Amino acid sequence: MYAFDYQRPGSVSEAAALLADGSGAKLLAGGQTLIPTMKQRLASPPLVVDLGGVAELKGIDRAGDRLEIGAMATHAEIAESPVVASAIPGLCQVAEGIGDPHVRNRGTIGGSLANNDPAADYPAAVLALGATLHTNRRGLSADEFFQGLFTTALEEDEILTRISCPVPERFAYAKFPNPASRYAMVGVAVAKGPQGVRVAVTGAGQNGVFRATDMEAALANAFTPDALKGINVDPSLMSTDIHADAPYRAHLVAVMARRAVEAAAA
Amino acid sequence: MAVNMSGEVVLAADRERVWAMLNDPEVLKICIPGCETFERDGENAFRAVAKVKIGPVNARFKGKVNLTDIDAPNSYRISGEGEGGVAGFAKGGAAVRLEPAEGGTRLVYDVEATVGGKIAQLGSRLVNSVAKKNADAFFAKFAEAVGGGTIVATEVEAANVATGGMS
Amino acid sequence: MTSTGIGAPVRRREDFRFITGSGQYVDDISRPGQAYAVFVRSPHAHAIIKNIDLSAARSAPGVLGIFTGNDLAADKIGGLICGWMIHSKDGSPMKVGPHPALATEKVRYVGDHVAVVIAESLNQARDAAELVAVDYETLPAAVDVAAAQNPGQPQIHAEAPNNTVYEWHLGDKEAVDAAFAQAAHVTKLELVNNRLIPNAMEPRAAIGEYDRGQDSYTLYTTSQNPHVARLVLSAFVGIAPEHKLRVIAPDVGGGFGSKIFIYAEETVCVWAARKVGRPVKWTADRTEAFLADAHGRDHVTTAELAVDGSGKMLGLRVKTKANLGAYLSTFSSSVPTYLYAPLLSGQYDIPAIYCEVDGVYTNTAPVDAYRGAGRPEATFVVERLVEVAARELGRDPAEFRMQNFIRSFPHQTPVIMTYDIGDYPTCMSKALELADYANFAERKAESERKGLLRGIGFSAYIEACGIAPSKAVGSLGAGVGLWESAEVRVNPVGTVEVLTGSHSHGQGHETTFAQLVSHRLGIPIDQISIIHGDTDKVQMGMGTYGSRSGAVGMSAISKALDKVVAKATKVAARCMEVPEETVDFNDGVFSARGTNKSMAFGEVALQAYVAHKFDSSEIEPGLKEGSFYDPKNFTFPAGVHIAEVEIDPETGVTRIDRWTAVDDFGTIINPMIVEGQVHGGIAQGVGQAMLEGAVYDASGQLLTASYMDYCMPRADDLPSFNVAMTNTPCPSNPLGIKGCGEAGAIAAPPALINAITNALGHENIAMPATPQAIWRAAQSSMRKMAAE
Repeated sequence: MYAFDYQRPGSVSEAAALLADGSGAKLLAGGQTLIPTMKQRLASPPLVVDLGGVAELKGIDRAGDRLEIGAMATHAEIAESPVVASAIPGLCQVAEGIGDPHVRNRGTIGGSLANNDPAADYPAAVLALGATLHTNRRGLSADEFFQGLFTTALEEDEILTRISCPVPERFAYAKFPNPASRYAMVGVAVAKGPQGVRVAVTGAGQNGVFRATDMEAALANAFTPDALKGINVDPSLMSTDIHADAPYRAHLVAVMARRAVEAAAA
Repeated sequence: MAVNMSGEVVLAADRERVWAMLNDPEVLKICIPGCETFERDGENAFRAVAKVKIGPVNARFKGKVNLTDIDAPNSYRISGEGEGGVAGFAKGGAAVRLEPAEGGTRLVYDVEATVGGKIAQLGSRLVNSVAKKNADAFFAKFAEAVGGGTIVATEVEAANVATGGMS
Repeated sequence: MTSTGIGAPVRRREDFRFITGSGQYVDDISRPGQAYAVFVRSPHAHAIIKNIDLSAARSAPGVLGIFTGNDLAADKIGGLICGWMIHSKDGSPMKVGPHPALATEKVRYVGDHVAVVIAESLNQARDAAELVAVDYETLPAAVDVAAAQNPGQPQIHAEAPNNTVYEWHLGDKEAVDAAFAQAAHVTKLELVNNRLIPNAMEPRAAIGEYDRGQDSYTLYTTSQNPHVARLVLSAFVGIAPEHKLRVIAPDVGGGFGSKIFIYAEETVCVWAARKVGRPVKWTADRTEAFLADAHGRDHVTTAELAVDGSGKMLGLRVKTKANLGAYLSTFSSSVPTYLYAPLLSGQYDIPAIYCEVDGVYTNTAPVDAYRGAGRPEATFVVERLVEVAARELGRDPAEFRMQNFIRSFPHQTPVIMTYDIGDYPTCMSKALELADYANFAERKAESERKGLLRGIGFSAYIEACGIAPSKAVGSLGAGVGLWESAEVRVNPVGTVEVLTGSHSHGQGHETTFAQLVSHRLGIPIDQISIIHGDTDKVQMGMGTYGSRSGAVGMSAISKALDKVVAKATKVAARCMEVPEETVDFNDGVFSARGTNKSMAFGEVALQAYVAHKFDSSEIEPGLKEGSFYDPKNFTFPAGVHIAEVEIDPETGVTRIDRWTAVDDFGTIINPMIVEGQVHGGIAQGVGQAMLEGAVYDASGQLLTASYMDYCMPRADDLPSFNVAMTNTPCPSNPLGIKGCGEAGAIAAPPALINAITNALGHENIAMPATPQAIWRAAQSSMRKMAAE
């Protein structure tokens, strides 16, 4: 690690003020990616702004037909939350399937979404749920928020504060973990809710999380596993690495989508 | 780790104009993602610095760029070597060919590059995707610079790897 | 006998300190004035070092010294050695390039050591290391072992043309050719034994220290064999003479072979301590461990088995290319030769065997012994071939094995070994019963109803352990003897300290060795300490590897205990004023036959030290005995493992449903620890077969240099193991022990691959059999079935 300054603000506005000078300060929202990267000396922010002390970023609530999750809610909190379990039980399972207990107790949903790792689980869930991502400035739809590999609509000095999910009729996430890292090698989230049927895929696409629109159309007609029969995923859009090539990922997307629908419809 | 990519883009300009822009360090600087400097360093040689950002990873690559096999205004080979400090290194080249096409000029490229050091050791899962993203970003900017165009295709080939002892 | 004696499942005494964070590992040790070393490593697989510019780094804050290979050479510090001479078929000695601790002219793999930076703090050393400017001229790399000997490949060492270290062979080629000429059936397989990267929980670490007043050095290091480290660093590398070099291997968090070897980093730390006048600490980070620890396995093999019309095995022909990496590590030459080919007879009566092995340099990390070392590779060849032969012949794989098992002992194989004892059919029968083999077809049908593919696979393995006798290994080229030493010190109150050359780094010696002493002296286990890992305390030892600590290390303790009891008997006889021959020793009490006189062991010990009751000209005061034990033969643990898997053909996900292991380890000191060793070994074998594999790209970059990409087995990858034992006590050592540390890792890979290929209806699948590979094979099986 290179030397860096550390600040632990007590509010979002204080945190935003620390980011405002544009010197490349980084937000610490659990640090499950940032800290290992800094230890490898592959990131050298002059200032780390720890959001761990910002109370307004915490908490999970049900507000009418929406589930409101503070950006600093940890994976463990979401996994164990009775509020989440009653509103969107599949989201508890998403959280429960991330990393290991250490990761789940440090990592946060906001940190994961802002990082937008192409193999992270939450982006698929949030995109399928059609959530609104609130920042200290605005609300962004999930479709606007995710902009490809590690890229989001967030400005350098913008802070993700809250994730607002419409409570769907049905939701499930099927994950094929990478055997080594246990990130998603392919993960498919399906939701049937106020915005219709939405299918989002993580781990597989060359440019990060994406929506499988042909699957959505088929499932809008009939929300059954059989509706997906005959829908093939184009391997040329899939990523390739030493663990899985594009044709295998394309195949797994179809299998995981079907399994997600099975779970959601059950 | 090897990256092999090929693709083509149809640009809304004639071949001479595209060729001139492909040889203009100012244009290249604008189009290369994260490029901070791109300066002439002799005939058909340049020095460049580019900042590469992949998620939380920030690395600054410094290196040399050379143009060889020049057949104006038809083709050249652009090759380079960059040192990214603790992140590792990247080297490689692209064969670039220009052909007249309906509505302008077709640019066909074939990239062969390797990356090494920590990028390869820790980030192999991302190398191909990042390479494609950067190639797409470059040609999008380049097309914009020449006055418009469309990316027809970018294909990334699976990396050629040897699993211990496997041929 | 006490409740803590031989055969008792005593809880591991060392675990309290390990699981409460009270262990003392090298990185836990801090010496006064300690500085920190960081190694500048090559990012290239093959390159000429044109220049190293240290000017910017030297002026960085906190820097105490920066050294390169030229500095080592100027101090006449020799290169690292390979301690086992192999001769090629033509009689020529193996062709070895130099292995400087810091590279001088060329770098030969990613991670090769170019310079060391020593600074006040670790961060300062890292900062300065970034400022070391190395000008490389990169060269093409030879990475693929199958191609590295071809003409036109990059040449890694001038001393070894075509990257060939040796072209070795073993066995009778003509006899094998004749056997194949008579064969009714020949089974042929192309096999790859995948490259593995050891992953001990504790990465390697070292602290070098120099005492100017005494002109002596101390090296704290993560070693499985500190005495061998001292010997090599003294006699070959030339750091200091042995009496001026103390090597301490304190608590060590796992080794699996990778901590046997004498590496560059430890060597440089102890040398540099004198250069900078400060203790120098280095601790590997995990990626350094992936890059620069010696890797394991990595063979490409063609193997053929000849069988007659009745199913009797006639001959075995094996040709292997063994990847040795960019330099020869400490014992690397022996692993694919004498630790491999002599095991190719397996448990079978095969009259003719011929094996050729090419040792090959490549631009990859050095390859050396890794849990099993040569024996997993041999077992994989034999057990894959036998399984496939059975399938091709339409024979039941268990029954085909039974037909060919060796049944009389001692048995001389055509490849050096004389198996002393065993009972292979009993192991097989017991395993078949425990695995419920009889009802496999029913389970398979049940899986099919769920759309899943079920398969069963066998592995009847044998290994040669103990790695001795010294005279035998010497005649095969070993540079050292492979005995073990022990000293038993009885204190005046009857407590006992045992000093052993067998280092413990996870094996539980502090428990099992104490059980032996408790058993023999009849004293409670808490009155016994086991001391190891310090060359100033233990005079000499050969260390822990090759499942030898029980068979060889404990045998040395046993012999020393014999001497202790003999002397104590004399003392007791004098004290009780009875003739020596009338004194019996049982359960910690010396008693005089035909009298009511008796003395407890502790009383006798006290009398030995006060020396009031005997004449010192007849019996020396004190009670301390030592022994050097050199065994008569290798030991031959053997057993049968049966794996049963269920595959989801839609995804390639494979679940291990059952695992049955029946092992014959001879006498067992602590069944709980032995079971633990079997479990750990199977886990590593499952890792090799399904999860682990080092991946280098064609340019020699290691793509699996973190746990993001190198897949270690986890608890949820494994089933609950069904483990049982049989026992034919080993006749070659006084305790009847055979050794158990490597068995699981040796047995498991072919059992699992046999099960997977059985499920898929394929003859072969490469390791690691990842979900992708299995899915692809399942698709082609189903296409084939659909076409038929």
